[in-house]
Amino acid sequence: MSAGPGPLAPLPDRVVRDPVLLAFADEVGGVDAGPVAVEGGRTQWELGGRSEPGTRLVRAPAGVVAFEPAEMTIQVRAGTTLDELDAALEPAGQRVALQGLPRAATVGGVLCVGLSGPTRLGHGHIRETLLQTRYVSSEGLLVTAGGPTVKNVTGFDLCRVLVGSYGTLGLLAEVTLRTRPRPQATAWLAGPADPADLFDRLYRPMSLLWDGETVWLHLEGYPEDVAVQTAIALEAGLQPMAGPPPLPTGRHSVEPGVLRRFRPDRAQRSGFVAEFGVGVVHGEWPGPTQGTPDASVVTLNRRLKQLFDPTGRLNPGRDPLAPSNGKADHR
Amino acid sequence: MDGTLVAELSASLSPDRVHNDHLEQVLYGRDASLMRGDAGVVCFPLTTAEVQACVRAALRHDRAIVPRGSGTGLAGGAVPLEQPLLIVTTKMTGIEVDLDNRVVWVQPGVINLDLTRHLKPLGFHFAPDPSSQQSCSLGGNVANNSGGPHCLAYGVTSAHVVAIEVVLPNGELAVLGGLGADPAGVDLRGAFVGSEGCMGIATRIAVRLTPNPPAVATLLADFVEPAQAAAAVSAIIAAGVVPAAIEMMDQRITQAVEAFVGAGYPTDAGAIVLVEVDGLPGGVAFETEKVREVCMAQGARSVRVAADEAERMLLWKGRKTAFGAVARVKPNYYLHDTVVPRTKLLDVLRQVYAIADRHDLIVMNVFHAGDGNLHPLLVFDAREPGILDRVHAAGEEIVRASLEAGGVLSGEHGIGLEKQPFMALQFTQPDLDAQARLRDAFDPDGRCNPAKVLPAGSRCGDLAHLDAHHRERLLADGVWV
Amino acid sequence: MKLPLVEDELASCVSCGLCLPHCPTFRVTGEERYSPRGRIEAIRQVHVGNQPADASFVDMMDTCLQCRGCETACPSGVPFGHLMEAARQGLNEQTRYQPWYRRVGYRTLAYHRALVIGSRALALVQRSGLVPSRRLGLPDRLPLRVPALRPQTVASGAARVWLHTGCVMDAWQRDVHAAALAVIGATGTAVTLPERIHGAGCCGALATHAGLVGVARAQAEATMRSFPGEDPVLVDSAGCGAQLKDLGHLLGTDEASHFSTRVRDIHEWIAEHLDRLPDGVGPRRTVSVAVQDPCHLRHVQRAHLSVRRVLAPYLDLVELDDEGLCCGAGGAYSVLQPELAGDIRTRKLESIARSGATLVASANPGCSLHLAAAGLTVRHPVQLLAEALGLVDG
Repeated sequence: MSAGPGPLAPLPDRVVRDPVLLAFADEVGGVDAGPVAVEGGRTQWELGGRSEPGTRLVRAPAGVVAFEPAEMTIQVRAGTTLDELDAALEPAGQRVALQGLPRAATVGGVLCVGLSGPTRLGHGHIRETLLQTRYVSSEGLLVTAGGPTVKNVTGFDLCRVLVGSYGTLGLLAEVTLRTRPRPQATAWLAGPADPADLFDRLYRPMSLLWDGETVWLHLEGYPEDVAVQTAIALEAGLQPMAGPPPLPTGRHSVEPGVLRRFRPDRAQRSGFVAEFGVGVVHGEWPGPTQGTPDASVVTLNRRLKQLFDPTGRLNPGRDPLAPSNGKADHR
Repeated sequence: MDGTLVAELSASLSPDRVHNDHLEQVLYGRDASLMRGDAGVVCFPLTTAEVQACVRAALRHDRAIVPRGSGTGLAGGAVPLEQPLLIVTTKMTGIEVDLDNRVVWVQPGVINLDLTRHLKPLGFHFAPDPSSQQSCSLGGNVANNSGGPHCLAYGVTSAHVVAIEVVLPNGELAVLGGLGADPAGVDLRGAFVGSEGCMGIATRIAVRLTPNPPAVATLLADFVEPAQAAAAVSAIIAAGVVPAAIEMMDQRITQAVEAFVGAGYPTDAGAIVLVEVDGLPGGVAFETEKVREVCMAQGARSVRVAADEAERMLLWKGRKTAFGAVARVKPNYYLHDTVVPRTKLLDVLRQVYAIADRHDLIVMNVFHAGDGNLHPLLVFDAREPGILDRVHAAGEEIVRASLEAGGVLSGEHGIGLEKQPFMALQFTQPDLDAQARLRDAFDPDGRCNPAKVLPAGSRCGDLAHLDAHHRERLLADGVWV
Repeated sequence: MKLPLVEDELASCVSCGLCLPHCPTFRVTGEERYSPRGRIEAIRQVHVGNQPADASFVDMMDTCLQCRGCETACPSGVPFGHLMEAARQGLNEQTRYQPWYRRVGYRTLAYHRALVIGSRALALVQRSGLVPSRRLGLPDRLPLRVPALRPQTVASGAARVWLHTGCVMDAWQRDVHAAALAVIGATGTAVTLPERIHGAGCCGALATHAGLVGVARAQAEATMRSFPGEDPVLVDSAGCGAQLKDLGHLLGTDEASHFSTRVRDIHEWIAEHLDRLPDGVGPRRTVSVAVQDPCHLRHVQRAHLSVRRVLAPYLDLVELDDEGLCCGAGGAYSVLQPELAGDIRTRKLESIARSGATLVASANPGCSLHLAAAGLTVRHPVQLLAEALGLVDG
């Protein structure tokens, strides 16, 4: 069955004619324009390897393009900071699940790095927020990946590989993000408790942090529900708190089950803060960490880079597989 | 000519799981779409190693491979072209729960609803619940990045898959993603989910265990006019409530389904809206009241809340068996699954009815209204001469109307074979070329489910040597010239 | 090959695949050829396309249990049973599909006296240990003596009903009929039994399923004639009940359609007369009872809930978690397709084991034999009811 004679051409609005994006594409330039990388808020600049000297730094455009509260999506330039994003959404009682990340970071920056904040347990991985992006390819072309609607499986899912690619596959120019209603009530509690026991008794907590001794619990939702969950936490020995503990530097990735089984001795406690139920550990992790990826996975990463950026001009020096990408050990 | 291939496969699997029977190949020539293809040898592996053996045998014989689960796909994604080796995963039904990591590893042939039933005593479920969930397999869910009514609140399959063990098109094994918080490298797992069998075969899948909500309420609102129903959907979202699901059915489909389930759907309603809210009891009570208020304010004749689990299941059964029920009206259907911005729902819906009228066709609408995912079913009798042309013409107009409203081609059924030509309406050539590169990273020789998803000519040629002039042209027109 | 089917019925399948998990043979094989959708497509290919009705096609048809679980699952209401019967009828009429000995076997079922005598002879041989009973799908101990059936005496002028006694069931499980008579009697209703030497033997269900339409029609006609008048005809075998409720389709006469309206599954009838039954006697059974729904009660008659209504006041019932999937008995199926029947039964046994019940209630002779052959204790719901009421010994 065919859709009629001859190939169809893209609908006029699918060709990007936005002068801001075209200008950004021109600034990035084609294959002859040399090595280039995007500089965001520099809040996670040290991750993913050191940018190669001689790389030309550009800035992605900034600002909100469109926000339709009833749609629960927002279209912003990649250079918009999380602070600006939040300010645009707040009056409508909405937000994007990019919580707990540096407020000065850019939306494009946090997505390129691809590391979620400490509320990932409740809000999901930050990659789930990205619905559509327009990026500049290594050839200097504007490419649209994904779609602007809240649900979309049209074609192969380029958005997923762009999140966490450190700008090595394409340079994000604009993104459309999924928004969520802000919760009516929130609470932080902390105290010495068994995180596994607490986790099993609560219904979908937003965050459960643990330093080997103390548990910090974050709850969100309707006031009545937060009250009920708070009662469970109080009974387990937690007390209301103003907020989360400061997260120590250093980030490790483990299987969440490892945290369930890990019994730190006195000396090992408090050097780390672990995201229970997720497996991210901040600080010094005394337990077992994640192994190295399969050779076939390394090959796939390399091949992808080769296909998307044959000349290696996009953010040279950075590598999503690098040990210092914040996913494995780094100090 | 398949003799040696069959012999090798029989030796690697077992002779009774390698089929070369002509009539059986005809059965495997189709899925739940209207498309028909041509299957070669059909094999039924049980283990990862057997899948690898199948892929390698195909490689040696220069045969393409097509993975297939339950065959409930609606876009022809599993329809085999040019007699490929068909690797059917329905016999791979192992389930291993890992409570510590709150995941369950499944083999690809596990049926979606079976998994949820298996997890029920543990207090968990697998959130994506496509309408075919009683039949569709997890492997198929991964291939299509399946959604379902409840993905409005819970997200589609991609959000629930943590790791996938994949036999790559070259026969190698790779684990994409992982149970650890941040697996190394780019998100290949995410690329594989929704790749419609074009990047390899999933042999083990780790999916997240979603805790069963402590409270659930299912509401049925009935409206005289579809327009009121659509307005109610937007109003619910605008009121700051994100229900677990918001579904809408128009009168024709409601009547067809009611004849099957007897769920007590009002068959004189112009449209009905099914809303489910879940979570902790306080929020459920609040949202139930809010949804009821909003629906009444938008002109609902009544809002009924399911009194018990049995009634709730019955209400859902009607919705989930809707496509199958259309044969009560006409024996064939052709549908699109475009998504439009929620605020354009009403406008596009009107156009859909007008398009069907213009082509003198019956259209039945049942869809995931909460996320704007339309499922207009054009129902017809294929034995009527010339009708397919009208159906296709109307289908194309529906796609155009959806895309012009700022929508996308597919919300959950995928592109497969049937919707391939429309890809060029939504994407420019650089867009399609980028997708082709993603596929090429996994399957450089195009061996796995060839000729699916991307239309011919998606690759732009040697972009590495694109000069400034051509770059400008591509930027301006979106088409390689 | 043109099959004697209704083309609109064939066209009504949209291939959505929602039937797949409700098909016992697909469940245990995962193969399209053993699924309703696959079988319908195969029928289409043979009837409309130019595919030969080869051995592969025959295998697809033969392996169908005709449980019709796909029909209750089908949103489009595809009459799969009709299609399958038509396919088998077509094969019978146009090929050497059913071997002579099977044709003779189906015909013999109508000769009731011969059946009872033959069964007794088999019982004697069985005691000698020379018969592999389980492999042949026979009960472990065929009855040597078949007790005479005596309806209860009730007040004159009481309402009357017929009890259909059938063929194999009357020979092998007459104690179920005895329990049925006791329960019906306890409601104060009089029972008439058909004249069984020349009259009602086999209702023709097995021949219908085998596609032997001529044999089936003759048997059905004879059965219908054994129940003159307008009194309700009660049936305690699910398979027979399904057949007798659909005689209008088989015989195509108004008389047959009218007859079918008189046919009730015995549980449906008892459920309407529960208020006339006495209270249970003795202590309530401590074990819970798993209700196994015979397919022809659940998917065809859709009367399976009445079994629960009848038993629930007297026994603790547990539901199986397999959504009424067939047990694999399927009339003569367990003998003809022992491997598939065994795999399907294993699934049922697992479900029964998960339920924790040690006793199974099944309202069809074929299912109870098939399950008992796997070592389960299986009773007919009417027997359990009669025992609970103290009408017969447990």
